[in-house]
Amino acid sequence: MELQAVLMAAGGGSRMMDLTYNTRKPLLPVGNKPLIWYPLNLLERVGFEEVIVITTKEVQKMISTDPKMKLDVKMKLDIVCIQEDADMGTADALRHIQQKIKTDILVVSCDLITDAALHEVVDLFRAHNATLSMLMSKAHEFTETVPGQKGKKKTGEQRDFVGVDGTGKRLLFMANEADLDKGLVIRKSIMRKLPRMHIKTGLVDAHLYCLKKSVVDFLADNKSVSSIRGELVPYLVRKQFSKSMTSPNVNDEADQKLKKKDGNANLEIQILSRDEVLLQLTRERSCWNDHRGDMSEAYHGVRLRCYVHIMDEGMCYRVNTLAAYIEANRLAPKLFDEPAVHPSAAISVRCLIGADSIIGASCQISDKASIKRSMIGASTTVREKVKVTNSIIMHGVTIEEGCNIQGSVICSNTVIGRGADIKYCLVGSAQRIEPEGAFWKTPSRLSCAFY
Amino acid sequence: MSSRGGKQKKGNVTSEQEEEEQPLQAVLVADSFNRRFFPISKDQPRALLPLGNVAMIDYTLEFLTSTGVQETFVFCCWMSNKIKDHLLKSKWCRPTSPNVVHIITSDLYRSLGDVLRDVDAKNLVRNDFILVYGDVVSNIDVSQALQEHRHRRKVDKNISVMTMVFKESSPGHKSRCEEDDVIVAMDSKSKRVLHYQKTQGLKKLQFPMNIFQHGSDEFEIRHDLLDCHISICSPQVAELFTDNFDYQTRNDFVRGILVNEEILGNQIHLYVTQDGYGARVSNLQMYDSVSSDMVRRWVYPLTPEANFTDQQGQGCTHSRHNVYRGAEVSLGHGSQMEENVLIGRDTSIGANCHISNSVIGNNCTIGDNVVLDRAHMWNNVHISSNVEIHQSVVCDGAVVKEAVHLNKQCVLAYNVVIGPNLSLPDGTVVSMHHPEEEEEDDDDEFLSDDQEVGHSKDKTRQKAFNPAEVGPEGKGYIWKASMNDTEDEELAQCLWGLVLNPDPESDSESEASEESQDRSRSVSPEIDDVNAFQLEVLGTLQRGLEENIVCDNLVLEINSLKYAYNITLKEVMQILTRVVLEYPFQQQGTQLTTLQYTGSLLPLLKTWSPVFKNYIKRAQDHLDCLSAVEELFLEQDTHQTAMVKVLMKMYQLEILEEEAILKWFSTGATNDKSRQLRKNQGLQKFIQWLKEAEDESSEEGE
Repeated sequence: MELQAVLMAAGGGSRMMDLTYNTRKPLLPVGNKPLIWYPLNLLERVGFEEVIVITTKEVQKMISTDPKMKLDVKMKLDIVCIQEDADMGTADALRHIQQKIKTDILVVSCDLITDAALHEVVDLFRAHNATLSMLMSKAHEFTETVPGQKGKKKTGEQRDFVGVDGTGKRLLFMANEADLDKGLVIRKSIMRKLPRMHIKTGLVDAHLYCLKKSVVDFLADNKSVSSIRGELVPYLVRKQFSKSMTSPNVNDEADQKLKKKDGNANLEIQILSRDEVLLQLTRERSCWNDHRGDMSEAYHGVRLRCYVHIMDEGMCYRVNTLAAYIEANRLAPKLFDEPAVHPSAAISVRCLIGADSIIGASCQISDKASIKRSMIGASTTVREKVKVTNSIIMHGVTIEEGCNIQGSVICSNTVIGRGADIKYCLVGSAQRIEPEGAFWKTPSRLSCAFY
Repeated sequence: MSSRGGKQKKGNVTSEQEEEEQPLQAVLVADSFNRRFFPISKDQPRALLPLGNVAMIDYTLEFLTSTGVQETFVFCCWMSNKIKDHLLKSKWCRPTSPNVVHIITSDLYRSLGDVLRDVDAKNLVRNDFILVYGDVVSNIDVSQALQEHRHRRKVDKNISVMTMVFKESSPGHKSRCEEDDVIVAMDSKSKRVLHYQKTQGLKKLQFPMNIFQHGSDEFEIRHDLLDCHISICSPQVAELFTDNFDYQTRNDFVRGILVNEEILGNQIHLYVTQDGYGARVSNLQMYDSVSSDMVRRWVYPLTPEANFTDQQGQGCTHSRHNVYRGAEVSLGHGSQMEENVLIGRDTSIGANCHISNSVIGNNCTIGDNVVLDRAHMWNNVHISSNVEIHQSVVCDGAVVKEAVHLNKQCVLAYNVVIGPNLSLPDGTVVSMHHPEEEEEDDDDEFLSDDQEVGHSKDKTRQKAFNPAEVGPEGKGYIWKASMNDTEDEELAQCLWGLVLNPDPESDSESEASEESQDRSRSVSPEIDDVNAFQLEVLGTLQRGLEENIVCDNLVLEINSLKYAYNITLKEVMQILTRVVLEYPFQQQGTQLTTLQYTGSLLPLLKTWSPVFKNYIKRAQDHLDCLSAVEELFLEQDTHQTAMVKVLMKMYQLEILEEEAILKWFSTGATNDKSRQLRKNQGLQKFIQWLKEAEDESSEEGE
């Protein structure tokens, strides 16, 4: 076993509270499958047989009991529960399962929907014996209107600056705009070694990381790091060019001494990816080099190396906002080739269902209903003359006759009264919408009114 | 309608054609406006110095002609007559020349800015032009860059004013000049220059955030670019120089444009060539590398045997290992020309010589058993037997007598005679001009007072040559760069330029310090505050001394600083003690003797004793203060004898109490060093004395 897969599925979805109020983020339906299915499927496709899933009790219970949440994956799921109120970061979670980690790991977040070729990331990890390799993608513009939001979202968000080398693979720099109030500062010695640096903004971090086992051990010793993305990755990227990482002859003896002397130094040394003797020999004997332009050895003797694979095309979404959720629902069906209409759904002959819609199991769709570019969850009843466009209807929703639903998200077990007109709204779960009600997009989040 | 449209189209076509038909112009600045090549350039302007036995300006003109320039304006200032004579004799001024050369001379040009302002005033350029210096050697085909430049100007309505030409070469490449190292931030897609900075002497490169806010999401920071000093300018550039009379150099211009981009809306772009060659001979280091590149045929088709200047008798033959021989070269028995050697016409070489990587000019004579490596010898040089020359420049008419050894980076300027039996140390520059002459020269440049020139020359003639410096039969003075030169303080007046690779040690040191900073940051973020506080306290005390401020006010100020930097009382005391004790070092340098140190410190202690007393009140305060004293003297271990005097003074001034001192002495020792310190004889005596005094006083009390 080369890599152990770890799936982080304990996040609460704090950036889309409207949706995760009733349904935990890993279980949100996307294309009639719980969100967590996508990363699991991704791992299964590339041949993983076992996954460590870190999640909360609640989610575990739902997965094991609720048939709607059933995950049809053949992999062995090793579910580890953490307490929900412990406020653990991703790095904390890794520390929690340190005992289970025997090899290098592949960490995936549960909200990742991608068709990325995972081997690209792993190949970078293997080829360069990297400490960290990660996946990024060009950010996509969300085209759909988001319920409860007026106008386009402002681009006031702070950008991430990612610096890669000339080949676009080696990760050299990483910072958020917010931390760069003094301007972007790069040491000249780095530029001297790697004279060409591409600074990219507008990238999405897929939160998919290959990490050396030593990093997990490092985490176990260094309790102050709590998040992978927020703290660990920037730390590793920075550490690539610090001196202790480049000095070639740190032997174990010195290692021991350092351990005794200084707790901090100890931590740094441990994180070194110690090149095996054979590997080192290979590098010495080979004419291969990772850079051109000077005569120094490959990697300039740097032993902690971070790499990134940046997807140019293909899809890569992190479903952590409402906009991303809607976009994912629109595109997710393309990821799997199952019939758009579940065989157990009872669908009237005289209704109109667009090819880009998905109908879940045991749905009832009556005459003259029209469903376009939408997702209808399991056990949902759609009565006569209902028009659903560009919407997401979760499980067990009942839509009475003559309703018109457009660009909205209707959470599970809601009943929508006859003739209601809902446009660009977000309706919470188990609500009752009065007949003939009309709800149009309002500046504030109208959805809150329904909880 | 349609016919009108057609007409318009036609009109466009003709205007395009007109544009195409307009001859491409170039501005060649045949002056460097600095004195890097002094004393060589005292006798010959830099543009005429031979490189591979051809004057440098000829390379520049050949480059311009081969890229399709049809009209060149040569601007000369320093020794303009020589340049003019040279050009009038050259092929560029023949009627058949495809490139019409206009020579414009004026003694008033002081910088590139002056030249371009004159270009604007005389209205010389009508269209985009190429701007180069007279010491650029290049074979880059800039037509591609020119096309891109024109395209940008057409699309963006004259926003782009300049396209700089760069050559890709990694850091540490030998044709890269440390002084000219630049870092460029650019927009990856539009190739727009966002930030341009010389990196010399910088450890950290800082990029302001506003350059990343132009809507693009991909930027590139490049340190692998060699500035060829070739730029394609639009006519606006000259106007901009006129508008901004403070622009002196191209650097000023680029910075000005980039900073004022928002206001003026002008942009600068760059063009990167991968396979061309382009470099500016800005110092002798570059002269050496460009010359060797030339001999190694990197600047093809500009090669020594090509005789592109089309002068009679300049032709030479090219044989294996890049050995070039001019006409009538005679080579003695057993002499070897190993590789990369260029020998000019009518030169004779004696027996058993070893010559490698060298250029030898016309009409030279070289004796027997001579070793030349990386030597650049110009015309009419006489080298006697048994001479060794390494990486040095020997100018026209110089004579090197028997058994002279020239070490690396020596320069023998025009008509110097050296030897016999002498070894010149590294970096020696010998010239017929006396170094002190320069200043007077300076003056007459402005006054152009002929009388004085003659006078000063007489004066220098009178000065005798120093045989220890130039040998018994030598003629010449050791040239020392004058220190009072302020015109360009950033370029030390060093002929050879800076060392290319600064020792890597300092590099890693900075990394280490960064590292420790990193670590300490995570532990205690106040570390910087403490340092800042220390500096502030030092400043306060200094001011207090200078302006005679009452101690109470000093205390007030320190207190407010304490709050500003969030410093504990204990730290305040330690820092205060430290600052005061280090004060003499701070003011008078670290090499003070102990006696001087105590002499200047003790009055200070007295002046500031009220400040100390304000902070040292409790018993613990005394101990803290003492430990600070101890710490400092542990660091300054040569001055440990002064410690007793300091303690004594502090005791006498009632800053410290005897109990505290005794307690500190008995308990404070924590490691070997401090134990060692306590064994100091003077200190022991002092403690003994204190103890006795205490006993006495206690007895008295009884």
